[in-house]
Amino acid sequence: MRFALADLSIQIGHIQFNNPVFVASGTFGYGTENKELVDVSKLGAIVTKSITLNPREGNPPPRLVETPSGMINSIGLANIGVEKYISDMLPVYEGIGTPIIMNIAGSSMDEYISVLEKIESVSSAIVGYEINISCPNVKEGGMQFGVDCSMTESLTSALRKRTEKLLIMKLSPNVTDISSIAVSAENGGADAVSAINTVVGMSIDHKTAKSNIYTTFGGLSGPAIKPIGLACVHKVFHSVTIPVIGIGGIVNSGDVVEYILAGAKAVQVGTANFRDPGICVKILNDLDLYINEHNVTLNNLIGSVKQYD
Amino acid sequence: MIIENAMIVSNAEIANGIWRMTLLAQEASSRYKGPGQFINILSDDGWEHPVRRPMSIANVDGKHINIIYKIIGNVTKQLSQKAPGDSLNILGPLGNIFTEWKTKRAVLVGGGVGLAPILNLYESCPDSTLIIGARTADEHFMDHEPGKNIYLTTDNGSLGITGNVLTVLENLDFNDQIIIYACGPEPMLKAIQHFAAENSIKAQLSVESYMGCGLGLCQGCVIEKQNEQMKKHSYHEKYSLVCMDGPVYWSNEVCFG
Repeated sequence: MRFALADLSIQIGHIQFNNPVFVASGTFGYGTENKELVDVSKLGAIVTKSITLNPREGNPPPRLVETPSGMINSIGLANIGVEKYISDMLPVYEGIGTPIIMNIAGSSMDEYISVLEKIESVSSAIVGYEINISCPNVKEGGMQFGVDCSMTESLTSALRKRTEKLLIMKLSPNVTDISSIAVSAENGGADAVSAINTVVGMSIDHKTAKSNIYTTFGGLSGPAIKPIGLACVHKVFHSVTIPVIGIGGIVNSGDVVEYILAGAKAVQVGTANFRDPGICVKILNDLDLYINEHNVTLNNLIGSVKQYD
Repeated sequence: MIIENAMIVSNAEIANGIWRMTLLAQEASSRYKGPGQFINILSDDGWEHPVRRPMSIANVDGKHINIIYKIIGNVTKQLSQKAPGDSLNILGPLGNIFTEWKTKRAVLVGGGVGLAPILNLYESCPDSTLIIGARTADEHFMDHEPGKNIYLTTDNGSLGITGNVLTVLENLDFNDQIIIYACGPEPMLKAIQHFAAENSIKAQLSVESYMGCGLGLCQGCVIEKQNEQMKKHSYHEKYSLVCMDGPVYWSNEVCFG
Protein backbone atom coordinates (compact mmCIF):
# COMPACT_ATOMS: atom_id res chain seq x y z
CA MET A 1 0.00 0.00 0.00
CA ARG A 2 1.35 3.39 -0.96
CA PHE A 3 0.94 6.28 1.38
CA ALA A 4 1.98 9.02 -1.00
CA LEU A 5 0.62 10.39 -4.25
CA ALA A 6 3.77 9.95 -6.30
CA ASP A 7 4.88 6.48 -7.31
CA LEU A 8 7.86 5.91 -5.06
CA SER A 9 7.91 2.15 -5.50
CA ILE A 10 11.08 0.46 -6.65
CA GLN A 11 12.18 -3.06 -7.42
CA ILE A 12 15.43 -4.66 -6.31
CA GLY A 13 15.94 -8.26 -7.39
CA HIS A 14 12.46 -9.77 -7.32
CA ILE A 15 11.26 -7.64 -4.42
CA GLN A 16 9.00 -4.66 -4.86
CA PHE A 17 9.42 -1.98 -2.18
CA ASN A 18 6.78 0.71 -1.58
CA ASN A 19 9.47 3.37 -1.48
CA PRO A 20 13.26 3.69 -1.68
CA VAL A 21 13.92 4.96 1.86
CA PHE A 22 15.22 2.21 4.16
CA VAL A 23 16.67 2.45 7.66
CA ALA A 24 20.31 1.41 7.86
CA SER A 25 21.72 -1.47 9.83
CA GLY A 26 22.66 -0.68 13.41
CA THR A 27 20.49 2.43 13.61
CA PHE A 28 17.05 0.91 14.10
CA GLY A 29 17.75 -2.05 16.39
CA TYR A 30 16.04 -5.28 15.41
CA GLY A 31 13.28 -3.23 13.81
CA THR A 32 10.47 -2.94 16.30
CA GLU A 33 11.99 -0.95 19.19
CA ASN A 34 10.65 2.31 17.74
CA LYS A 35 6.99 1.41 17.42
CA GLU A 36 6.09 4.00 20.06
CA LEU A 37 7.63 6.84 18.02
CA VAL A 38 7.33 5.78 14.38
CA ASP A 39 4.83 4.19 12.04
CA VAL A 40 7.34 1.63 10.76
CA SER A 41 4.92 0.41 8.11
CA LYS A 42 5.73 3.56 6.13
CA LEU A 43 9.43 2.69 5.78
CA GLY A 44 10.63 1.24 2.48
CA ALA A 45 12.41 -1.47 4.44
CA ILE A 46 14.08 -2.07 7.76
CA VAL A 47 17.64 -3.35 7.70
CA THR A 48 18.32 -4.97 11.06
CA LYS A 49 21.45 -4.61 13.11
CA SER A 50 24.13 -7.17 12.28
CA ILE A 51 23.37 -10.66 13.52
CA THR A 52 26.22 -13.07 14.18
CA LEU A 53 26.30 -16.80 14.87
CA ASN A 54 26.95 -16.35 18.60
CA PRO A 55 25.74 -13.51 20.84
CA ARG A 56 28.18 -10.63 21.15
CA GLU A 57 28.51 -8.24 24.08
CA GLY A 58 30.18 -5.59 21.97
CA ASN A 59 33.22 -3.43 22.66
CA PRO A 60 34.05 -1.81 26.03
CA PRO A 61 32.98 1.84 26.45
CA PRO A 62 33.47 4.55 25.38
CA ARG A 63 31.87 3.40 22.17
CA LEU A 64 30.63 6.63 20.68
CA VAL A 65 31.61 10.26 20.26
CA GLU A 66 30.24 13.17 18.29
CA THR A 67 32.56 14.71 15.69
CA PRO A 68 31.96 17.71 13.41
CA SER A 69 28.72 16.96 11.52
CA GLY A 70 29.06 13.31 12.39
CA MET A 71 29.83 10.73 14.99
CA ILE A 72 32.28 7.91 15.46
CA ASN A 73 31.06 4.61 16.85
CA SER A 74 32.71 1.39 17.80
CA ILE A 75 29.87 -0.74 19.12
CA GLY A 76 31.45 -4.03 18.14
CA LEU A 77 28.40 -5.78 16.67
CA ALA A 78 26.61 -6.25 19.99
CA ASN A 79 23.71 -8.59 19.21
CA ILE A 80 21.69 -11.48 20.58
CA GLY A 81 23.03 -14.11 18.16
CA VAL A 82 21.10 -15.96 15.49
CA GLU A 83 19.38 -18.56 17.72
CA LYS A 84 17.78 -15.96 19.97
CA TYR A 85 17.08 -13.82 16.93
CA ILE A 86 15.08 -16.67 15.42
CA SER A 87 13.15 -17.39 18.60
CA ASP A 88 12.55 -13.82 19.78
CA MET A 89 12.53 -11.58 16.71
CA LEU A 90 11.19 -13.57 13.77
CA PRO A 91 7.72 -13.96 15.32
CA VAL A 92 7.58 -10.21 15.90
CA TYR A 93 8.12 -9.55 12.19
CA GLU A 94 4.89 -11.32 11.23
CA GLY A 95 2.38 -8.65 10.33
CA ILE A 96 4.81 -5.77 10.78
CA GLY A 97 3.90 -4.51 7.31
CA THR A 98 7.46 -3.55 6.38
CA PRO A 99 9.96 -5.63 4.42
CA ILE A 100 12.71 -6.82 6.76
CA ILE A 101 16.25 -7.17 5.46
CA MET A 102 18.42 -9.06 7.91
CA ASN A 103 22.03 -7.92 8.16
CA ILE A 104 24.53 -10.71 8.76
CA ALA A 105 28.12 -10.35 9.97
CA GLY A 106 30.71 -13.05 10.39
CA SER A 107 34.36 -13.80 10.80
CA SER A 108 34.58 -16.72 8.42
CA MET A 109 32.84 -18.08 5.37
CA ASP A 110 31.37 -20.80 7.57
CA GLU A 111 29.90 -18.32 10.01
CA TYR A 112 28.10 -16.30 7.33
CA ILE A 113 26.83 -19.50 5.75
CA SER A 114 25.66 -20.97 8.99
CA VAL A 115 23.72 -17.86 10.04
CA LEU A 116 22.07 -17.68 6.63
CA GLU A 117 21.25 -21.39 6.59
CA LYS A 118 19.65 -21.20 10.03
CA ILE A 119 17.32 -18.47 8.80
CA GLU A 120 16.65 -20.31 5.54
CA SER A 121 15.63 -23.41 7.50
CA VAL A 122 12.71 -21.63 9.17
CA SER A 123 9.84 -19.69 7.70
CA SER A 124 10.06 -15.96 8.24
CA ALA A 125 8.96 -12.58 6.93
CA ILE A 126 12.55 -11.70 6.06
CA VAL A 127 12.73 -10.67 2.40
CA GLY A 128 16.48 -10.60 2.08
CA TYR A 129 19.94 -10.38 3.54
CA GLU A 130 22.43 -7.58 3.65
CA ILE A 131 25.88 -9.04 4.17
CA ASN A 132 28.19 -6.93 6.29
CA ILE A 133 31.65 -7.36 4.84
CA SER A 134 32.70 -3.94 5.98
CA CYS A 135 32.49 -3.46 9.77
CA PRO A 136 35.61 -1.52 10.72
CA ASN A 137 35.26 -2.08 14.48
CA VAL A 138 35.85 -5.73 15.19
CA LYS A 139 38.51 -8.07 13.95
CA GLU A 140 35.82 -10.58 13.18
CA GLY A 141 33.57 -8.08 11.39
CA GLY A 142 34.01 -9.37 7.91
CA MET A 143 36.33 -6.60 6.81
CA GLN A 144 38.82 -9.17 5.52
CA PHE A 145 36.15 -10.09 2.96
CA GLY A 146 35.22 -6.53 2.12
CA VAL A 147 38.72 -5.48 1.14
CA ASP A 148 39.44 -8.48 -1.07
CA CYS A 149 37.85 -9.09 -4.46
CA SER A 150 38.20 -12.85 -4.61
CA MET A 151 36.94 -13.35 -1.05
CA THR A 152 33.98 -11.06 -1.77
CA GLU A 153 33.12 -13.07 -4.84
CA SER A 154 33.45 -16.47 -3.19
CA LEU A 155 31.42 -15.41 -0.14
CA THR A 156 28.71 -13.90 -2.34
CA SER A 157 28.53 -16.97 -4.48
CA ALA A 158 28.47 -19.34 -1.49
CA LEU A 159 25.53 -17.43 -0.03
CA ARG A 160 23.81 -17.11 -3.42
CA LYS A 161 23.74 -20.90 -3.74
CA ARG A 162 21.89 -21.14 -0.43
CA THR A 163 19.16 -18.55 -0.80
CA GLU A 164 16.68 -17.23 -3.27
CA LYS A 165 15.98 -14.28 -1.04
CA LEU A 166 17.36 -10.85 -1.87
CA LEU A 167 21.15 -10.79 -1.42
CA ILE A 168 22.81 -7.44 -0.86
CA MET A 169 26.53 -7.02 -0.18
CA LYS A 170 27.39 -3.99 1.98
CA LEU A 171 30.59 -2.34 0.82
CA SER A 172 33.28 -0.50 2.72
CA PRO A 173 34.68 2.85 1.66
CA ASN A 174 37.94 1.89 3.37
CA VAL A 175 39.36 0.25 0.25
CA THR A 176 41.57 1.32 -2.63
CA ASP A 177 38.97 0.64 -5.30
CA ILE A 178 35.34 0.15 -4.23
CA SER A 179 34.27 -0.52 -7.83
CA SER A 180 36.31 -3.70 -8.10
CA ILE A 181 34.75 -5.05 -4.89
CA ALA A 182 31.29 -4.19 -6.25
CA VAL A 183 32.07 -6.04 -9.48
CA SER A 184 33.13 -9.09 -7.44
CA ALA A 185 29.82 -8.99 -5.56
CA GLU A 186 27.94 -8.82 -8.85
CA ASN A 187 29.99 -11.70 -10.29
CA GLY A 188 29.21 -13.73 -7.19
CA GLY A 189 25.50 -13.31 -7.83
CA ALA A 190 24.45 -10.46 -5.53
CA ASP A 191 21.12 -8.81 -6.31
CA ALA A 192 22.42 -5.42 -5.17
CA VAL A 193 25.23 -3.69 -3.32
CA SER A 194 24.84 -1.12 -0.58
CA ALA A 195 27.42 1.58 -0.02
CA ILE A 196 28.87 2.85 2.16
CA ASN A 197 29.53 1.41 5.59
CA THR A 198 31.25 3.80 8.02
CA VAL A 199 34.57 5.45 7.27
CA VAL A 200 37.45 4.59 9.61
CA GLY A 201 37.99 7.54 11.91
CA MET A 202 39.60 8.62 15.14
CA SER A 203 38.80 11.22 17.79
CA ILE A 204 41.23 12.52 20.39
CA ASP A 205 40.61 14.70 23.45
CA HIS A 206 43.46 17.20 23.45
CA LYS A 207 42.80 18.06 27.10
CA THR A 208 43.39 14.54 28.35
CA ALA A 209 45.54 13.36 25.41
CA LYS A 210 43.34 10.26 25.26
CA SER A 211 41.44 8.61 22.45
CA ASN A 212 37.70 9.22 22.78
CA ILE A 213 36.94 5.66 21.68
CA TYR A 214 38.07 2.55 23.57
CA THR A 215 39.13 0.74 20.43
CA THR A 216 41.07 3.84 19.22
CA PHE A 217 39.54 3.64 15.75
CA GLY A 218 35.84 3.69 15.01
CA GLY A 219 33.43 4.20 12.16
CA LEU A 220 32.58 7.75 11.12
CA SER A 221 29.00 8.36 10.03
CA GLY A 222 26.59 11.24 9.57
CA PRO A 223 26.52 14.22 7.20
CA ALA A 224 30.33 14.42 7.40
CA ILE A 225 30.61 11.36 5.14
CA LYS A 226 27.93 12.25 2.57
CA PRO A 227 30.45 13.41 -0.08
CA ILE A 228 32.37 10.13 0.32
CA GLY A 229 29.16 8.13 0.04
CA LEU A 230 28.05 10.01 -3.09
CA ALA A 231 31.43 9.47 -4.76
CA CYS A 232 31.42 5.75 -3.92
CA VAL A 233 27.86 5.28 -5.15
CA HIS A 234 28.65 7.09 -8.40
CA LYS A 235 31.77 4.98 -9.01
CA VAL A 236 29.95 1.74 -8.25
CA PHE A 237 26.96 2.76 -10.39
CA HIS A 238 29.23 2.98 -13.40
CA SER A 239 30.89 -0.37 -12.64
CA VAL A 240 27.98 -2.76 -12.11
CA THR A 241 24.56 -3.44 -13.60
CA ILE A 242 22.87 -4.46 -10.31
CA PRO A 243 21.14 -1.79 -8.20
CA VAL A 244 23.15 0.33 -5.76
CA ILE A 245 21.68 1.26 -2.39
CA GLY A 246 23.17 4.56 -1.25
CA ILE A 247 24.14 5.15 2.39
CA GLY A 248 26.03 7.89 4.17
CA GLY A 249 24.89 11.07 5.88
CA ILE A 250 21.35 11.27 4.56
CA VAL A 251 19.23 13.61 6.70
CA ASN A 252 16.64 15.01 4.26
CA SER A 253 14.89 14.44 0.93
CA GLY A 254 17.47 16.54 -0.90
CA ASP A 255 20.16 14.13 0.21
CA VAL A 256 18.04 11.22 -1.08
CA VAL A 257 17.67 12.89 -4.48
CA GLU A 258 21.43 13.53 -4.62
CA TYR A 259 22.15 9.85 -3.94
CA ILE A 260 19.67 8.82 -6.63
CA LEU A 261 21.26 11.25 -9.09
CA ALA A 262 24.63 9.70 -8.23
CA GLY A 263 23.27 6.28 -9.12
CA ALA A 264 21.40 4.84 -6.15
CA LYS A 265 18.10 3.04 -6.69
CA ALA A 266 17.31 3.11 -3.00
CA VAL A 267 18.90 4.66 0.07
CA GLN A 268 19.39 3.90 3.73
CA VAL A 269 19.15 6.50 6.46
CA GLY A 270 21.44 5.79 9.39
CA THR A 271 22.78 8.22 11.97
CA ALA A 272 19.83 10.60 11.53
CA ASN A 273 17.56 7.95 13.10
CA PHE A 274 19.40 8.38 16.38
CA ARG A 275 18.33 12.00 16.55
CA ASP A 276 14.80 11.40 15.27
CA PRO A 277 13.60 7.85 14.69
CA GLY A 278 10.70 9.32 12.68
CA ILE A 279 12.95 11.17 10.26
CA CYS A 280 12.42 8.70 7.39
CA VAL A 281 8.70 9.36 7.38
CA LYS A 282 9.39 13.11 7.10
CA ILE A 283 11.96 12.47 4.35
CA LEU A 284 9.38 10.40 2.45
CA ASN A 285 6.76 13.12 2.62
CA ASP A 286 9.26 15.63 1.24
CA LEU A 287 10.47 13.19 -1.42
CA ASP A 288 6.90 12.76 -2.55
CA LEU A 289 6.60 16.54 -2.93
CA TYR A 290 9.86 16.67 -4.89
CA ILE A 291 8.79 13.96 -7.33
CA ASN A 292 5.45 15.67 -7.89
CA GLU A 293 6.85 19.18 -8.21
CA HIS A 294 9.61 18.19 -10.61
CA ASN A 295 7.38 15.84 -12.57
CA VAL A 296 10.05 13.13 -12.66
CA THR A 297 10.12 9.44 -11.89
CA LEU A 298 12.57 7.79 -9.55
CA ASN A 299 13.79 5.43 -12.26
CA ASN A 300 14.60 8.29 -14.63
CA LEU A 301 16.55 10.09 -11.94
CA ILE A 302 18.89 7.21 -11.16
CA GLY A 303 22.44 8.12 -12.11
CA SER A 304 21.29 11.13 -14.11
CA VAL A 305 23.62 13.65 -12.50
CA LYS A 306 24.81 16.16 -15.08
CA GLN A 307 28.46 16.95 -15.58
CA TYR A 308 29.45 20.46 -14.61
CA ASP A 309 30.08 22.55 -17.69
CA MET B 1 8.61 8.86 25.75
CA ILE B 2 7.84 11.39 23.08
CA ILE B 3 9.56 13.91 20.79
CA GLU B 4 8.16 17.36 21.42
CA ASN B 5 8.93 20.98 20.55
CA ALA B 6 8.95 22.49 24.02
CA MET B 7 8.80 26.25 24.60
CA ILE B 8 11.48 27.94 26.64
CA VAL B 9 9.89 29.86 29.49
CA SER B 10 13.07 31.05 31.17
CA ASN B 11 16.81 30.55 30.79
CA ALA B 12 19.19 32.17 33.27
CA GLU B 13 22.67 31.77 34.70
CA ILE B 14 22.39 30.80 38.37
CA ALA B 15 26.10 30.42 39.13
CA ASN B 16 29.31 30.80 37.16
CA GLY B 17 28.74 28.79 33.98
CA ILE B 18 25.71 27.01 35.44
CA TRP B 19 22.30 27.69 33.94
CA ARG B 20 18.70 26.81 34.71
CA MET B 21 16.15 26.48 31.93
CA THR B 22 12.39 26.09 32.30
CA LEU B 23 10.52 24.47 29.45
CA LEU B 24 6.81 24.27 28.78
CA ALA B 25 6.53 20.66 27.67
CA GLN B 26 2.94 19.48 27.78
CA GLU B 27 3.50 15.97 26.50
CA ALA B 28 6.85 15.08 28.04
CA SER B 29 5.84 16.43 31.47
CA SER B 30 2.72 14.26 31.50
CA ARG B 31 4.86 11.15 31.00
CA TYR B 32 7.36 11.94 33.76
CA LYS B 33 7.89 9.15 36.31
CA GLY B 34 10.16 10.78 38.92
CA PRO B 35 13.61 12.03 39.98
CA GLY B 36 16.40 10.38 37.99
CA GLN B 37 14.79 10.68 34.57
CA PHE B 38 16.28 12.82 31.83
CA ILE B 39 15.41 14.44 28.51
CA ASN B 40 17.51 14.37 25.36
CA ILE B 41 17.70 17.81 23.80
CA LEU B 42 18.51 19.17 20.35
CA SER B 43 20.09 22.59 20.46
CA ASP B 44 19.30 23.50 16.84
CA ASP B 45 18.02 22.15 13.52
CA GLY B 46 21.44 22.09 11.90
CA TRP B 47 23.63 19.02 11.61
CA GLU B 48 26.93 20.38 12.84
CA HIS B 49 26.08 18.63 16.10
CA PRO B 50 24.05 15.60 15.03
CA VAL B 51 23.72 14.00 18.46
CA ARG B 52 21.20 15.03 21.11
CA ARG B 53 22.48 15.94 24.58
CA PRO B 54 21.06 14.16 27.62
CA MET B 55 20.04 16.52 30.44
CA SER B 56 18.78 15.37 33.82
CA ILE B 57 15.43 16.73 34.88
CA ALA B 58 15.84 19.10 37.84
CA ASN B 59 12.14 19.48 38.49
CA VAL B 60 8.72 18.95 36.94
CA ASP B 61 6.05 21.40 37.97
CA GLY B 62 2.76 20.83 36.18
CA LYS B 63 3.53 21.16 32.48
CA HIS B 64 6.95 22.67 33.11
CA ILE B 65 10.25 20.82 33.04
CA ASN B 66 13.38 22.39 34.56
CA ILE B 67 16.91 21.47 33.62
CA ILE B 68 20.21 22.69 35.07
CA TYR B 69 23.19 22.62 32.74
CA LYS B 70 26.78 23.63 32.77
CA ILE B 71 28.43 25.26 29.76
CA ILE B 72 31.02 22.80 28.54
CA GLY B 73 31.02 23.12 24.77
CA ASN B 74 29.31 24.62 21.74
CA VAL B 75 25.97 22.95 22.30
CA THR B 76 25.56 24.10 25.90
CA LYS B 77 26.76 27.55 24.84
CA GLN B 78 24.07 27.63 22.13
CA LEU B 79 21.57 26.53 24.74
CA SER B 80 22.52 29.44 27.01
CA GLN B 81 21.89 31.89 24.16
CA LYS B 82 18.28 30.84 23.75
CA ALA B 83 15.57 33.21 24.89
CA PRO B 84 12.13 32.78 26.43
CA GLY B 85 9.67 32.01 23.64
CA ASP B 86 12.22 30.01 21.61
CA SER B 87 11.42 26.38 21.05
CA LEU B 88 13.61 23.45 21.97
CA ASN B 89 13.16 19.97 20.56
CA ILE B 90 13.23 17.40 23.33
CA LEU B 91 12.97 13.62 23.51
CA GLY B 92 11.82 12.17 26.77
CA PRO B 93 11.35 11.60 29.54
CA LEU B 94 13.89 8.80 29.42
CA GLY B 95 15.57 6.47 31.89
CA ASN B 96 14.79 4.99 35.28
CA ILE B 97 14.31 6.68 38.65
CA PHE B 98 15.83 6.74 42.14
CA THR B 99 14.06 4.26 44.44
CA GLU B 100 13.51 3.51 48.13
CA TRP B 101 13.85 7.16 49.17
CA LYS B 102 10.31 7.20 50.53
CA THR B 103 11.09 4.63 53.18
CA LYS B 104 14.77 5.32 53.93
CA ARG B 105 16.70 8.34 55.08
CA ALA B 106 18.53 9.94 52.19
CA VAL B 107 21.95 11.51 51.96
CA LEU B 108 21.99 13.36 48.64
CA VAL B 109 25.28 14.15 46.96
CA GLY B 110 25.67 16.31 43.85
CA GLY B 111 28.74 17.62 42.12
CA GLY B 112 29.44 19.65 39.00
CA VAL B 113 26.95 18.95 36.27
CA GLY B 114 25.30 16.27 38.39
CA LEU B 115 23.24 18.64 40.44
CA ALA B 116 19.95 18.43 38.62
CA PRO B 117 18.65 14.99 39.60
CA ILE B 118 19.90 15.45 43.16
CA LEU B 119 18.04 18.73 43.61
CA ASN B 120 15.02 17.07 42.05
CA LEU B 121 15.14 14.30 44.63
CA TYR B 122 15.78 16.83 47.41
CA GLU B 123 12.43 18.44 46.66
CA SER B 124 10.77 15.10 47.28
CA CYS B 125 12.64 14.42 50.52
CA PRO B 126 13.45 17.79 52.10
CA ASP B 127 14.40 16.20 55.43
CA SER B 128 17.43 14.57 53.89
CA THR B 129 21.06 15.65 54.10
CA LEU B 130 22.25 17.52 51.01
CA ILE B 131 25.91 17.77 50.03
CA ILE B 132 26.91 19.80 46.98
CA GLY B 133 30.47 19.94 45.74
CA ALA B 134 32.11 22.48 43.46
CA ARG B 135 35.60 23.73 42.73
CA THR B 136 35.02 27.32 43.83
CA ALA B 137 32.37 29.49 45.51
CA ASP B 138 31.18 31.05 42.26
CA GLU B 139 29.97 27.66 41.00
CA HIS B 140 27.54 27.40 43.92
CA PHE B 141 24.07 28.91 43.90
CA MET B 142 22.79 27.62 47.26
CA ASP B 143 23.69 28.60 50.82
CA HIS B 144 25.90 26.54 53.10
CA GLU B 145 23.53 25.78 55.99
CA PRO B 146 24.83 22.95 58.21
CA GLY B 147 21.94 23.64 60.62
CA LYS B 148 19.56 22.55 57.89
CA ASN B 149 21.82 19.67 56.84
CA ILE B 150 22.88 21.48 53.67
CA TYR B 151 26.63 21.25 53.20
CA LEU B 152 28.50 22.96 50.37
CA THR B 153 32.12 22.16 49.65
CA THR B 154 34.79 23.91 47.60
CA ASP B 155 38.23 22.67 46.63
CA ASN B 156 39.83 25.93 47.78
CA GLY B 157 37.66 26.65 50.81
CA SER B 158 36.15 29.78 49.26
CA LEU B 159 32.71 28.63 50.48
CA GLY B 160 31.50 26.03 52.96
CA ILE B 161 33.71 23.10 53.79
CA THR B 162 37.20 22.88 52.29
CA GLY B 163 37.57 19.65 50.37
CA ASN B 164 35.05 17.65 48.43
CA VAL B 165 31.84 15.77 49.05
CA LEU B 166 33.79 12.85 50.54
CA THR B 167 35.09 15.16 53.26
CA VAL B 168 31.50 15.58 54.42
CA LEU B 169 30.45 11.96 53.90
CA GLU B 170 33.35 10.73 56.02
CA ASN B 171 32.10 12.79 58.94
CA LEU B 172 28.46 11.72 58.85
CA ASP B 173 26.96 9.00 61.02
CA PHE B 174 25.52 6.25 58.90
CA ASN B 175 23.23 3.36 59.75
CA ASP B 176 21.49 0.74 57.67
CA GLN B 177 18.43 2.95 57.23
CA ILE B 178 20.40 5.46 55.19
CA ILE B 179 20.93 5.42 51.44
CA ILE B 180 23.32 7.69 49.54
CA TYR B 181 21.98 9.10 46.27
CA ALA B 182 24.65 10.67 44.10
CA CYS B 183 25.17 12.25 40.72
CA GLY B 184 28.27 13.97 39.44
CA PRO B 185 31.55 13.52 37.63
CA GLU B 186 32.85 9.98 37.34
CA PRO B 187 35.76 10.44 39.79
CA MET B 188 33.24 11.57 42.42
CA LEU B 189 30.93 8.61 41.76
CA LYS B 190 33.89 6.27 41.86
CA ALA B 191 34.93 7.67 45.25
CA ILE B 192 31.37 7.32 46.59
CA GLN B 193 31.17 3.78 45.24
CA HIS B 194 34.37 2.96 47.14
CA PHE B 195 33.16 4.74 50.29
CA ALA B 196 29.82 2.89 50.20
CA ALA B 197 31.50 -0.49 49.75
CA GLU B 198 34.06 0.13 52.53
CA ASN B 199 31.37 1.19 54.98
CA SER B 200 28.64 -1.23 53.87
CA ILE B 201 26.31 1.61 52.96
CA LYS B 202 23.76 1.35 50.17
CA ALA B 203 24.13 3.92 47.41
CA GLN B 204 22.36 4.73 44.17
CA LEU B 205 24.43 6.50 41.53
CA SER B 206 23.09 8.38 38.53
CA VAL B 207 25.81 7.91 35.92
CA GLU B 208 26.72 9.98 32.90
CA SER B 209 27.33 8.56 29.49
CA TYR B 210 27.80 9.72 25.94
CA MET B 211 24.56 8.86 24.16
CA GLY B 212 23.83 8.55 20.46
CA CYS B 213 20.08 8.28 20.77
CA GLY B 214 18.63 7.62 24.25
CA LEU B 215 16.41 4.90 22.82
CA GLY B 216 18.57 1.78 22.95
CA LEU B 217 19.15 1.91 19.20
CA CYS B 218 22.80 2.89 18.95
CA GLN B 219 24.11 0.78 21.85
CA GLY B 220 26.69 3.49 22.42
CA CYS B 221 26.06 4.48 26.05
CA VAL B 222 26.94 1.25 27.82
CA ILE B 223 28.47 0.91 31.28
CA GLU B 224 30.17 -2.26 32.46
CA LYS B 225 28.21 -4.27 35.00
CA GLN B 226 29.70 -5.78 38.15
CA ASN B 227 28.72 -9.38 37.95
CA GLU B 228 31.01 -12.04 39.28
CA GLN B 229 28.67 -14.73 38.07
CA MET B 230 28.70 -13.23 34.61
CA LYS B 231 27.93 -15.71 31.90
CA LYS B 232 30.46 -15.60 29.14
CA HIS B 233 29.14 -14.33 25.82
CA SER B 234 25.66 -13.79 27.10
CA TYR B 235 24.20 -10.71 25.48
CA HIS B 236 23.79 -7.77 27.83
CA GLU B 237 25.27 -9.67 30.72
CA LYS B 238 28.46 -7.68 30.60
CA TYR B 239 27.19 -4.22 29.67
CA SER B 240 24.12 -2.23 30.56
CA LEU B 241 22.53 0.45 28.39
CA VAL B 242 22.59 3.65 30.46
CA CYS B 243 19.71 5.13 28.42
CA MET B 244 17.32 2.23 28.98
CA ASP B 245 18.49 0.42 32.14
CA GLY B 246 19.95 3.54 33.81
CA PRO B 247 20.96 6.21 34.45
CA VAL B 248 20.41 5.18 38.10
CA TYR B 249 22.26 2.10 39.36
CA TRP B 250 23.03 0.62 42.76
CA SER B 251 26.70 1.36 43.42
CA ASN B 252 27.55 -2.35 43.47
CA GLU B 253 25.98 -2.93 40.05
CA VAL B 254 28.41 -1.04 37.84
CA CYS B 255 32.12 -0.65 37.16
CA PHE B 256 33.73 2.63 36.23
CA GLY B 257 36.51 2.65 33.65
